[in-house]
Amino acid sequence: MISNYVLDAKGLSCPMPIVRTKKTIDTLRSGEVLEVHVTDKGALMDLPAWAKACGHTILEQSEIDGVIKFFIQKV
Amino acid sequence: MSNRVAIIASNGNLFDAYKVFNIATAAAASDKEVGVFFTFEGLNLIHKQGMHTLPMPEGKESMAEGFAKANVPSIPELVDMAQELGVKFIACQMTMDVMGLTKEDFVDGIEVGGAVTFLEFAKDAAPALTF
Repeated sequence: MISNYVLDAKGLSCPMPIVRTKKTIDTLRSGEVLEVHVTDKGALMDLPAWAKACGHTILEQSEIDGVIKFFIQKV
Repeated sequence: MSNRVAIIASNGNLFDAYKVFNIATAAAASDKEVGVFFTFEGLNLIHKQGMHTLPMPEGKESMAEGFAKANVPSIPELVDMAQELGVKFIACQMTMDVMGLTKEDFVDGIEVGGAVTFLEFAKDAAPALTF
């Protein structure tokens, strides 16, 4: 999947992955896709909940070797 | 649905600080309007010097290692982050008077007010939380 920007939030713990994702998505345009890489297990539930609260769409999510990747389309 | 989150911070150890600022920053990052009322020991959390040396709760000192290992942000970092995200800090005037503190003892950008200032902010809030 193609993204417009990749945010490396690996190694950060709650609430920083959410805070960094929020600050990064603010710099994107509507419809653009942000790719976020995290290792915080809490983000598995948190990022989808955050996207729902803000109206963004999770297009795809995967986990390989402890790194969780989200593709988030900005509302 | 309310877009406001109102938080009362009335305790002053390191755990209290994480509870308050994690919820506050997460809510602000989710496009909520967030206000925190700091009262009694809660004032430590935004005290210019105090926030750098918040104590662990008694008997929990061994958890310091866990905090370091989990790469948790420091409290001053979370305070900065919260303010950058637009979280409103209200310091309790009455407690400040009792403790002999002035606005200059706290981080920049706070408001000082009484209970009614907070209640007015909190009246449309859901959830309202106390720590």
